Parts: sequence; C-alpha cells; structure tokens
Amino acid sequence: MSLLSRLARAFRPSRLDEDLEEEQRFHVEARTADLMRAGVPREEAELEARRQFGNRLRIRETSRDVRLIGWLESVVRDIQFGFRMLRKNPGVTAAAIVSLALAIGASTGAFSLVDALILRPLPVRDPRTLVYLTNPSDSPDAAQQETDNDSFSYPLFRRLRDAVRGHADLFAVSYQGEQPAVFDGTGTEVKIEPQWVSGNTFELLGLQPELGRLLNRNDDLKPGAHPVAVISYAFWQRHFAGDPRALGRWFKLQEKQYQIVGVTQRGFTGFEPGVRTDVWLPTMMFTPEALESNGWQWMRIWGRLQPGTSADQLRAMLQPVFTADLQDRVARFMPADEPADRVRRYLHTPIHVASAANGPSDLRNDFTRPLWILTVVVALVLLIACSNVANLLLARITAREHEMALRLSIGAGRGRLIQQLFIESGLIAVAASVVGALLGAASAPLVVGMLSTTGAKVYLDLQPNASFFAFVVLLCGFATTLFGLLPALRASATTPSSALKSGTLRASARIGLLRPLIAAQVGFSFVVLFVAGLLLVTFQKLNTMELGFTKEDVVLCRVEALTLKKGGDKARVAWQQLAERVRQLDGVQSASTSMWALFQGWSWSENVRVPGRKPDGSSPNYLGVSPGFLETMQISLLSGRDFTYHDADPENPVNVIVNQAFVRRYFPGQSPLGMQFSRQEANQTWVPQVIVGVVRDARYNDLREAPPATVYVPTRSQAGEQSLEVRTRMDPATLTSMLRAELPRVYPGMRLTEVNLQSEFIRNKLTRERLLALLSGFFAIVAMTLAAIGLYGVLNYAVVQRTREIGIRVALGAGQGQTIALVLRNIVWIVAIGLVGGVALGLGLGQFLTTLLFEIKPSDFWGIALPMLCLIAASVAASVPPAIRAARVDPSVALRWE
Amino acid sequence: MARQDALQGSLPLLILKLLDRRGPVHGYGLTTFIEQTSEEALRVEEGSLYPALHRLEEARLVKAKWVVTENKRRARVYEITPAGRKHLETEEERWHSVTAAVAQVLKLA
Repeated sequence: MSLLSRLARAFRPSRLDEDLEEEQRFHVEARTADLMRAGVPREEAELEARRQFGNRLRIRETSRDVRLIGWLESVVRDIQFGFRMLRKNPGVTAAAIVSLALAIGASTGAFSLVDALILRPLPVRDPRTLVYLTNPSDSPDAAQQETDNDSFSYPLFRRLRDAVRGHADLFAVSYQGEQPAVFDGTGTEVKIEPQWVSGNTFELLGLQPELGRLLNRNDDLKPGAHPVAVISYAFWQRHFAGDPRALGRWFKLQEKQYQIVGVTQRGFTGFEPGVRTDVWLPTMMFTPEALESNGWQWMRIWGRLQPGTSADQLRAMLQPVFTADLQDRVARFMPADEPADRVRRYLHTPIHVASAANGPSDLRNDFTRPLWILTVVVALVLLIACSNVANLLLARITAREHEMALRLSIGAGRGRLIQQLFIESGLIAVAASVVGALLGAASAPLVVGMLSTTGAKVYLDLQPNASFFAFVVLLCGFATTLFGLLPALRASATTPSSALKSGTLRASARIGLLRPLIAAQVGFSFVVLFVAGLLLVTFQKLNTMELGFTKEDVVLCRVEALTLKKGGDKARVAWQQLAERVRQLDGVQSASTSMWALFQGWSWSENVRVPGRKPDGSSPNYLGVSPGFLETMQISLLSGRDFTYHDADPENPVNVIVNQAFVRRYFPGQSPLGMQFSRQEANQTWVPQVIVGVVRDARYNDLREAPPATVYVPTRSQAGEQSLEVRTRMDPATLTSMLRAELPRVYPGMRLTEVNLQSEFIRNKLTRERLLALLSGFFAIVAMTLAAIGLYGVLNYAVVQRTREIGIRVALGAGQGQTIALVLRNIVWIVAIGLVGGVALGLGLGQFLTTLLFEIKPSDFWGIALPMLCLIAASVAASVPPAIRAARVDPSVALRWE
Repeated sequence: MARQDALQGSLPLLILKLLDRRGPVHGYGLTTFIEQTSEEALRVEEGSLYPALHRLEEARLVKAKWVVTENKRRARVYEITPAGRKHLETEEERWHSVTAAVAQVLKLA
C-alpha cells in the first residue's frame, strides 16, 4: 500500500472501514450464492452464510487495528532508524540543523513582528466593523505625503458625530506621548502614557473592566468636570502589583488631579499597535482650548459602523461636514493672498473611511514596507537554507544508495523508503524548528528594542500566541517538504540492479540533480546581498550626511520653570541668565537656549512676504534661539553677526539670522544683510524682520531633504520651558548633577526634565534605516555563507565521486590545469545562471525598495556589480579546496579507489 | 472450537502456500480452497481469515488490489510477494522439521 493511501487511511478511517465492509459483504454474498446453487432456499442461505462468517463487526475492528497499528509501528521504527542515521553523521546533522534553525528563527521572529504590528486584530468586540477617518496629507514634506493624515480637531469630531448619528457611532481617541504624573502618597514622578478618549469609547468597543468600572458617557459631559481615570491591566500590574486598592487612588497629571475608577480587561494594551497606554481620561479633561478650537488637531476619529451602513455611505455623509470645516479653516488661517489653486486643492481634500480592525498605527505606517522587505529577505534565506539541507541530504542519500537498493531488493516498497526519508528530514526540521522558535521568540523583542527612540518607546505585544505556534508548525512542515522531497524522490528512484553494482560511473548524473539547487542558492543569495547592499549604502550615506552643525559633544537639556510662563521681562532675564551661568561652569565650552533642539522632531514655519516677490505659499522654518546658539551648535556664520541680548528685547525691531537656502530662495543674487521681509503672525498681522546675519545651511529635522530655508529669531517668548544646549566633553551624567545643583540658583523652581545627546536625536532619525541595514547585512552574510558551503559541498562531492575518472585522466597524461578545469566546468555555468536569475529577481524586488533608498537606485551599476563580485569571490573561495583535492589525485591510489 | 485453535498458528502459512500455488485470489476463494484441500477437516470461522490476510499484507508478505469480477462486483484479490515466497520457504521447512520431530516422538512413545 502506498504511503499516500496509508496517510489517507490514518486521517480518514471511514474509508478504511468501507473497504473492509465491502470485502466482507462480497464474501457473504458469494457464499450465499454458492449455497443457493446447492439448493438451499435464499433466506436460509443468507442466514447460514452470515453464521459461517462469524462476528463481522469484531473482525472488522481487528483488521482495522492491524492496518493502523501496522502503520504506526512503521513510523515509530522509521523514527528510531532516523535518529540512528542522524547520529551516524553528527557533522552533517549539526550543519543542517544549525543553518535551518537560523533561517527558521529569522522567519518566526519576522512573523511575530508582522503579526503583532500588521495582522493581529484589536482584542475588542467585532473589530471588522471598526473604522477610522483619514485624509490625504497636503504636507509639503515629501516623507509625510506617503501616509495619510489622521488627526482632527474636537469641534470637527462633534459635528461629524452628530451628522452620522443613526448610521455609525463615532468616538475620538487622542494622540499620545509620555508625561510625568505624581501618584498620591509617593511624591515621586512616574512617566505614564495617558490617552484622552470620548465617553462612549469603551462601550462601543465592548471592553469589560477587570476591576471597578470603565469610562462611560456620563464621564465626558462638561469641560474639566470629570477627574476620573481608568488604568490598563499592564500598568496596574507594573505600578500597583495588581493591588485592588489601586481603585480610588489619586494622581496628578498636567496640574490636574484624577481618581482611578477602574482597570481595563487583561490583554487590552491600547488602540495603537506600537504604543503602550497606561491611563485613559475623558476628553473633557483635556486642555479647554483644544475642545473649542479647530486649530488643535489632537485626536483620531474612530467609528463603529451600524448594521446596514457601508464605509462608502459613511464617507458620503461625512464629506460635506468635513468640507465646511476646511472652508472655515481657509477663512481663519490662510493668508488672503494664498494662490487660488492651492486654496482650491485644499478645499477639495477628500475624507476617507479606513478599516481600524487592527488599530491605526504610526509605527505600522513607517514599518510596514521595511517589515515586508525583511520578510522577503528572511524567506529567501529560508529557501537557501532548505536547498542547502537538501544538498547535504542528497549527497548522503547517494552514499546510502547501497542501503536503499538492498532494502528495495528484499521487498521494501518505494513508498516505505519515501516515508523513511521524509521522517529523517522531519526529524531535522523539528529539531531546527524548536531551536528556531526559541531564537525567533528571543530576537523579536531585540528588534523592537531597536525601534524605540529617545522620545518614543515602542511597545509591541510579542508573547508567543496560538498563531505563533501554528506558524512554527506550518513552517516546519513546509521546510520538511521543501528539502525532504528531492532526497526522498531520489532515493525512491534507486534501481536495485545498478545500485548494487559499483556507482562510480553514474557520478555526473548525480550532480545533475544538485544543479538547480545550487543555481537557486546563488540566485537567492545574490538577491539578499543586493538588497542588503542598497540598504547599507543608504544608511551609510544618511549617517555621514553633512548636517551643517556638529552633533558630537552636545548635551541637550529640557529645562522647565512653570512660574515663568507669564513672566514677561523676568522670564527673559532668567532664561538669559541660565545660558550665562551654565557657560561659566567648569568643563563647559559654550551653552545656549532655544525653543527646542534641532532634530527633536518639532518645527515651526510661518508665511513670509518679501517686497517685490510674488508669494508662492512656501514658508521657511523658524527657530527661536539665544545668543551663542550658533557657536554652541557650530553653525558657521558667513557674514553679519550673532544675536546679542539686545536683540531679545521685545522693544527692539526684530533682527533675524537666515541661512543660505533662505537667501537663495527669497533674495537670489542679492546681498541679504540689512534686507527686510515680514512674517505673518497668528492674528493676520505682518511683523517686519531685518536680516543681520547669514549662516551656513544646517539641517533642521530631516536628513533626506536638502536643508530647508531657515530663519533664526531671538527668543522673545515667555515660555515656561526651553531647550538648553551645552557643548562639553564632560560625561552627561556629571553635567546633569552639576545642572541640578545650579538651576535652582538661577531661578527658583527651575528644573531639568530631560537630558539627551544631540547625536542621539540624529540616531533616532535613522532607526528604520539602521534596522534594515543591520538585519539585511546580517542575513546577507548568512546567505553568502550558506551558498558557499553548498557550493563547496557539491564540488567536493563531485571530486570524491570522480576520483577514479580523474585518476584515469591523470594517468593518461592530463595536467593539473586540465584536472581543475574539469571540476570547475561543473560549476561556472551554474553560478552564472544563478546570478542572471538573481539579477532579474533583484531588479524586480528593487522597485518596492526605492522609497526607502537614498542616493542610490536599484539599477545603479555598483549596486549590482558589487554583490555579484562578492558571490563570485565566495564561489571561488568555495571551489579552491575541491580543486586542490582534484589536482592532487594520485592515479595509483585513485585507480584502486572503490 | 478445538479445531479452530489448532489451526490458528498455521493459518498464515496455509494462506501463503495457497496463494503461492493458486495465484491471485479473493478471500472467499481462499476459504473454499482451504475447505476443499483439507476436506473440511480444517474449518475456520470464515471471517477470521481476513485479519490474518491483512496482517500478512502489513508485513508485505502478500499484496492486494481491487478488481472487478465477471458479474461486475468489486473484489479484493490477494497475491504473494517475493518476500512472502521467501518467508513461506523458511516457514515450510520449519513446519516440516517440527511436525517430523513431533511425529517421531509420538511414534517412540
């Protein structure tokens, strides 16, 4: 019986039962017919036939056991035999398991990331009917155009909610960011991730409290009137160690007191994959201005479609309300002389209804493409590893040809041989999967750790779950089929007669089977190398990008003095003194303050008017800085002068320093010093500005785009918070303790809230590129190594198999060169074909990469040539030992070879 | 019952022998062969033939396939394999030497 029909029987025993029953029925009917022919009446004959046959059910059961137990026993025997075979060749087995475990580990790691970030639906009721609203971004920043805008204002939310009542239930969920909170009775600050949500949110999602109650509609009625909070299960465990007495506790956040009324259900970590949420508060407790003004865009709008409403219908209902809001915004915020086509385009912005089944996520927007690219790379590595293992096994099968032939000639079925070999392959795959799953489970959190930046800790739920294990099992089966199939077919094709004779003459035919495997390995390795090369070059170019300032040795401190918020002159003087006092500290080269640091991610741009120039809707970046900022950041002054404290006096005209990009755009070909332009203030007035200095272009927030036109203005605002830049070679920790002592002396209540390095902020910008470069580089090395090992194995095997033939050739006068050529001829074409296939595949894949690349295109000559050269070098390296072996063949030894 | 037990251990041998001599045949055919050749001395519960056949099949001493008979019925036909033949040879020898030994003992006693 063939393996397939056995398997079919194991999984469909009913078929087996039918067969057995039919066989019995045939017997009884035949007996009945015979008895009737002997003259027994039909009824009596039937009875007699049954009686003679015996208990049909019991007999059928016995037969059934014979069948199934027989099969199971054969499986057990094969497993035992498989273990013996694997132990016999520990080197080959270890090589196979390690390379496969690495590939499976990478695959499972990639899967758990893809699952957590992209595939997994939110753990809420009926996630399929959840939607959220977006609109295409009109940001001039190219990088942001790729992703849709999904932030809206509270007044717009209210109007949209009312417009679709009866068809969908909308709720609003704020954006998040870490904030300090003080819990009662402790006095120490805890960084928490709060989120403001509308009152119906939890009810619409069908979430249950683990403890206490969740927020409801009545908690979100009057601005400032609902000081209640719900904490997440994870935060409850982390901060309160799961103590039920957490209920009723108070904490202070943003100068407001809140009481904890409940804990969300276990497993719910928030609305946005990638972000952890600790505390939920009613929207009515958010800054009152934000509830009134459509200038504050701070929330996502979600909705639950009611039965009978489609996303398209909802969109049609939302559009008029959204367009009216746009019209209002144009009237309020756009300058009157804004180009008409820009206004028109803005007013035609559509609103989209997107599925929120897996939770909208900024992290996903940034990392979907990189993750899929990594997934492809990992899949290729898996294929390479599988074909490598197939290679190893094939070579071993050929060595075991005698065994196979013997087994066939003593009556083993070919199906049985296939079963035996699949079980051996399966044992390797299972061992590799166990190791691989552990590797994958351990590596995925490391990758997530690499995604976290100073400002934003990335949180993903990577606990191995049912789908993780299902994936591992699936992968294991897939790998077994992939690398087990060829060896199994090869073995079952053994013909006893020829195999029991000497095998040496059939050597070249055996290499034939390995050829496509080697070509595939080379091709896939090329693709991995090619992709890695592009990503490495991109990272390298961005990482060594000219910034226009010196990022090293700059410590960035966030300094807070809340009492200075409306401090007027007093505030200005205090902030001036801060920079001056820090500058005097030992070991500090220079210090300055600014609204925020470069590359902190914040920006401010304003419309400007230049006399004699048509407005074009472009707006330069602004940054408020103190005197000494240019010196501290080492932004070179090309002409004019730095600010003095005199410039910071609000009584004086606004003097500004601009960069070259600003001059190029707004004063092309002119001498900019002393020139005037005006800047639009929030209340539609225009403030004249005089250029007193020109500096070199410095990057503001972005590494990919050219440095933007930038205007530095003296800080005149009375903010309660400033960034303090300190250029020093001191250890940041030493500086921090010095500052903690110094700050209260500058002004009472002044304190440090954050300390970072300027270089870290630049580093954070390259998270995605660094991750891709690092991982793809690692996989490139793995892929190349595997391909080289595969090549070496096959060549070496070919030489061993052909030792006799080579010996004859040498005996007949072949030189060493000819011998080596004989060996290498085998491989040159295979490598060449593999490379050509790899280039085609690589160029195809490259199209999905372009948006991630920087200053390199997939079609660049070196992008293709370099990985090719690497692989050719690896192939040559892999061929050297077998070639030497061939060249050293001693005819006298070889001819006795058997 | 006694007769049946006596047969139990030798049934596989009997089946192999019949299959070797008579070629491919279905279960019912085997039953009738046994009845005829042993002149009904060796009557078995007919059904117990099948587990024995299936055991031999699992051991790959016989192989089976479905065929369609003259009167258009599907019947399962059994045939001895080369391994079965080898097995039959050794078992037959063993059987003869054992029965000869037993006969010798009975004669002397």
